[in-house]
Amino acid sequence: MSSNKMIEAKSISKHYERKIALSSLSFSINRGETVALIGPSGAGKTTLLNSIAGLLTLEHGDLLIDNMSITSYRKGTVFAKKVGVIRQQFDLIGPLAVIHNVLAGKLADWGFMKSLFSLLIPQEKAAAIQALERVGLPDKAYEITSTLSGGEQQRVAMARLMVQNPEIILADEPVASLDPARADDILAMLTNIVLERKQTMIASLHSVEYARKYFSRIIALKNGELFFDLPTENVTDELLADLYQLKERG
Amino acid sequence: MSRLVSSFRLHNRFMLTLLLAAIFIWSLFSIKWNADLFHAGGIPTMLQIFEGLFHPDFSPDILMKGLEAAWITLAYAVAGMSLAILYAFVVGILASGTLTSSRVARLSSKIFFRGVLGFTRSIHELIWAWIFVAAVGLSPYAAIFALAIPYGGILGRIFADMLNDVPIEPIKALKSTGASKLQTLIYGYLPLVWADLISYTMYRFECSIRSSAIMSFVGLGGLGYQIQLSLADLKYDQVWTYVFFLIVLVLLVDVWSNSVRKVLTERKRRRGLSPGWGSSLFAILLIIGSWVFITSGDKANLLELLSDKNLEYAKKFFGGLVGVNEKHPAFLVTSEWSSALKLTLETLEMSIMAIGFATIAAFITVIPAARNMANGSLTSVKKWYNWPLFGIVRIIYIFSRAVPELVWAMMIIFIFKPGLLPGAIALALHNFGILGKLWAEVIEDMDPRPIRNLASAGASKIQILFYGILPTVLPRFLTYILYRWEVIMRTTIVVGFVGAGGLGIEFKLAMSYFQYTEITLLLLCYMILVIIADFASESTRKAVK
Repeated sequence: MSSNKMIEAKSISKHYERKIALSSLSFSINRGETVALIGPSGAGKTTLLNSIAGLLTLEHGDLLIDNMSITSYRKGTVFAKKVGVIRQQFDLIGPLAVIHNVLAGKLADWGFMKSLFSLLIPQEKAAAIQALERVGLPDKAYEITSTLSGGEQQRVAMARLMVQNPEIILADEPVASLDPARADDILAMLTNIVLERKQTMIASLHSVEYARKYFSRIIALKNGELFFDLPTENVTDELLADLYQLKERG
Repeated sequence: MSRLVSSFRLHNRFMLTLLLAAIFIWSLFSIKWNADLFHAGGIPTMLQIFEGLFHPDFSPDILMKGLEAAWITLAYAVAGMSLAILYAFVVGILASGTLTSSRVARLSSKIFFRGVLGFTRSIHELIWAWIFVAAVGLSPYAAIFALAIPYGGILGRIFADMLNDVPIEPIKALKSTGASKLQTLIYGYLPLVWADLISYTMYRFECSIRSSAIMSFVGLGGLGYQIQLSLADLKYDQVWTYVFFLIVLVLLVDVWSNSVRKVLTERKRRRGLSPGWGSSLFAILLIIGSWVFITSGDKANLLELLSDKNLEYAKKFFGGLVGVNEKHPAFLVTSEWSSALKLTLETLEMSIMAIGFATIAAFITVIPAARNMANGSLTSVKKWYNWPLFGIVRIIYIFSRAVPELVWAMMIIFIFKPGLLPGAIALALHNFGILGKLWAEVIEDMDPRPIRNLASAGASKIQILFYGILPTVLPRFLTYILYRWEVIMRTTIVVGFVGAGGLGIEFKLAMSYFQYTEITLLLLCYMILVIIADFASESTRKAVK
């Protein structure tokens, strides 16, 4: 059903100088899917995510978000309800208290005066506290964000995303700078939240293991092209070996 | 060829040092070195001044006067800074271009508002004061505006730089949540720069106390005024009393600003009234108190500032500056330009001499002035005289930097005949303390491990200096030298006021004889100097990197 397609890429391309970043890529992702994006460094994972996030303009092709071309989303506040982004732990404003960083997810709905006032007396606190409870940090609401550990900061970023509540979540290497135990923890929590809320998620990962463990579908990119696009159970070790092979022999 | 390049690379810092030393030596040739430099009674006067230092007049009468003058100086500084912060905040944000959406708008907003900030800070506060007094008369507002304009320019520029330097990732993340430009400003940019902004403002507040003290030179009250009166009466013991007041005032502000900085770097959230809140409350009370004091004064009627009479004066003054009703404005006459440019060159030489003297004095004194040298932690060598030496040098530094250049110049002019040398010495006396303090902090921040390693390998003290300390700290030393040189350049015109040579004397004469277009010409020359200084120090800094 076309109404179920949340993201549809129609032969999209992007170049940096002379280097091809994305070469005529086509795929579609349905509502509720969790997709892992894998591939060697420089394959175009981040470029693809940034294009879907509306941070890059494409040279060719069209990108549909919820059946509307990405170029037709003029207002940032409307787009923020469709697409939310989570990266490594650099997303937060360090000197602000945790609760303000979480409530930043509401800025699209708030006017300037309300957001200014909220810095003095936090507004719509209940939503923020609820989100912090869900990520297991209920007692950290009034701590200064930069004093939290890396894993805790990533959970604050998730709480912000919950308050923003977009339909699509783009996660760019969300666990790149965490140790394995924390990374497992964060990914389990993130995929659970996405399933609960029937959101759609694309996450770029450098670990194939995590991709297989937490995601229903895997898209592999190599040199800006689609290398494979399969349900997780159909991804074989041979395919993965090919994907990460340094040079084709021949 | 490549060998030549690499040997140049290897020695480029050395070459640069040689070049700078050569420039300094060249500047020394601008003076005829003979006994004619001193006044006939110069040396005895110097001894008298020196004697006053050890027998300051602490009679209750003078102490009360000093206290009152210190309060006036503080109040003007606080009121001036509060306006400067407002100006810097608004124009700084505009000059950073963070609120603009298109590239063209950002670029034009940056260029325009950075230009405004550059212009307002290139002219020294004392010249602004003079201009305001000439335009609106002897009102406290003349002093306050004169402080607010250049200080706002400096703060605004730093503020804009800070906003431009924030990490981009959190800002991008905020934008992706759908935040507007203004929301990104209050949730992203401002919290990120807040701590640095406050520490820098506190540092500048300390400087503004000194600037406020010299406002008296154009006839506005305060500590500088008392110093000037006592000097005129040749009562050197009283001079030092007021100087001590100024030093104490500067030290108190220094202590306060250090405690604020400490709170900001610790960043621990505490329940109840934290020291951060205490400081904010104190700042607010100080600002309110200063404004109440100023607005309740008899000469301070803001509405009277805009009276018809004053407007007429101001119109005449600014009209005169641009050459209205003048057949031959000085800034269009070639001969006027050539004599003004000669003075400009002299002023340049004076500034180079000044920074040269300051550098030599700081270089000799800096090693014992570093805390980690004094306690022996850097070299693992402890001597009994380390701490006393540290104390003496630090007290000299405090003296040197707490007394404004102008006050040093006013004293020195009793000893030397007017010319470039007394100006250069006055500038050096003030700046060597600042330079020494900044350098000592660089040494204190050094990583001690490589130095200890050298010491354990058997290196002597001198070897440690040349192999361990100098290579590490020299680039930062040089940065501070250049930075202080820029500041000295802005101040040259001021020491000239009291007869210490260069553009300043001419400026004072032109002011006294109401030769308005010549004032414009001299201001133009002065701005050329400031631009040269900015450019030269910027490119030298890049060369060392």
